[in-house]
Amino acid sequence: MSTASIIVIIVNILLAVILAVGLTPVFVWWERRVAGFVQDRLGPNRCHIGGFRLGGVIQSIADMLKLVFKEDFTPSYIKYKFLFSLAPGIVFICYFLTFGVIPFADNIILDGISHQMQAMPMNIGIMWFIAFAGLSVYGIILGGYSSQSKFGLLGSIRASAQVISYEASMGLALISMLLTYGSIHLNDMVAAQGGLLFGFLPAWGVFMQPLACIIFIVTVFAETNRAPFDLAEGESEIVAGYHTEYSAMRFGLFQVSEFAAMGGGAAIIVTIFFGGYQVPYLSTTDLKENISIILLVLMTVIPAMLILFTGWIKKNNVWPDENDIRFRETGILVKVFLGLAFVIFAFLAYFFFTGLSENGTSIAVAVLQVLTFLTKFFMMVLVFMWIRWTLLRIRYDQLQMLGWKVLLPLALLNIIITATVIVVGQ
Amino acid sequence: MGIKVVKRHGISLKDKLYLPAIMGGMKTTFKHFSKNLKDTSNLISMSYPEVQPSDITDNYRGVHRLTKWDDGSEKCVACFMCATACPADCIFIEAEERFDEKAEKRPSAFSIDLLECVYCGYCVEACPCDAIRMDTGIFSFVASKRKDFLVDKNYLMNNERGKDFPND
Repeated sequence: MSTASIIVIIVNILLAVILAVGLTPVFVWWERRVAGFVQDRLGPNRCHIGGFRLGGVIQSIADMLKLVFKEDFTPSYIKYKFLFSLAPGIVFICYFLTFGVIPFADNIILDGISHQMQAMPMNIGIMWFIAFAGLSVYGIILGGYSSQSKFGLLGSIRASAQVISYEASMGLALISMLLTYGSIHLNDMVAAQGGLLFGFLPAWGVFMQPLACIIFIVTVFAETNRAPFDLAEGESEIVAGYHTEYSAMRFGLFQVSEFAAMGGGAAIIVTIFFGGYQVPYLSTTDLKENISIILLVLMTVIPAMLILFTGWIKKNNVWPDENDIRFRETGILVKVFLGLAFVIFAFLAYFFFTGLSENGTSIAVAVLQVLTFLTKFFMMVLVFMWIRWTLLRIRYDQLQMLGWKVLLPLALLNIIITATVIVVGQ
Repeated sequence: MGIKVVKRHGISLKDKLYLPAIMGGMKTTFKHFSKNLKDTSNLISMSYPEVQPSDITDNYRGVHRLTKWDDGSEKCVACFMCATACPADCIFIEAEERFDEKAEKRPSAFSIDLLECVYCGYCVEACPCDAIRMDTGIFSFVASKRKDFLVDKNYLMNNERGKDFPND
């Protein structure tokens, strides 16, 4: 195994770990700020280290430290302490592993050897996601069941009722996508989305299969236990559902896995329906051929956006008290971002004028595709949060009604139509 | 008196699809989100300790004060009306004789336990001499010990009418 392939693997694993686990504090903060803005509030913005609030993200670090150092309390009436401790681990591992098969970029060719840009370079693709996303609910059921509390039990019953109502439609929605792409490997799926549809639309899954897209997004929301389907948690009726009896980091692990689930769901939606790492209208070969033009465009666009962002910072990141240490932050951040804009400009300009080698072009394209994937991923996560703060939680009989009476027939209909189109098309 | 037939909601195709309604809701929340993201200065939230509320009216019942004559001596005649009216029993008065012709009695000690006080304003209404008032506009009283919440006559007499209130 060459050095290059080891580096590629390490980079991929790091990306997966950061997206699944490392971003949790950021997501918690982001969720709270989005909630605040949606409800005309501010959200957390006071916590600081040496005057640096960074928009309030320091608050999540404080919350995380609190969870780590809290007393990990196990109620005395819990008989199966091992299962009680195991449950959050199962949930976490399952959601964490779903990130393993997400392609972050097209296969990267270094010195003539092709490397897959996935944390786990294997070809089972979507099956891996379905397997682990389906398995994770066992952790939730086990957690609620071994809590030996009525709220926990009700939460896990709801979780199991939820699984039987959405899993079937989810699988069927995916089958129509498999028929469309003709592969279960996620990288093939993304590669298939590189072309154009009717000559002007990017051939993304959402344009080819809008119905399957809606069904899949709805079921992924149910899968990840997010609003409006977070009935296993149901804090307004059953305290906190399956994690009522959990405290400290065992509760924290449930929390982390909730955000890992959201990330995993967003990543899989982006991969299957929103073109994954594909830059709209530009395929991998286009990118490789026109890399210098793209560098030129990025060289102007990224610093310009950063400079606009400093304007936003000056306007919105203000602190009312001039004598407070937090007052200095805005000025320093503006300087940091202006410096960053200059560094990026210089960096890209260097590559633009010296030109890139063949390996360099591959790496540049991969970086560009990873950034595209991340942009889509974060926008999808924003949609998750946006929906959470818009819609009400639905009852679990309503979810079953939706799953069996609406989504399942629609998914079946979609399969029939897709199969007919494919057969007739041949 | 005819019967008014009200058309049942939620039976049209648009209602049954749910998605238009969901999109409508998401449009509303997104409007709020983008408006507040572009300009946070419109938000109602205040950075509280730095920015103090400005909408406290002059009939707001804040921490008490004892009113004074022009020469700075207390108006209170130690009649115990406020202590009697107090539902929380938080006013403690010790009376003494007064020799400066203003009144026959004065409080030698006048203390209020602000932790017991329910800020009902009965003491203000009961006072026959307009000697106790709650118009300081102080809405937060902070101390580190319970004992510090038992405010004495000196503190109460040094409180003034709230700065932002119109003078009567």
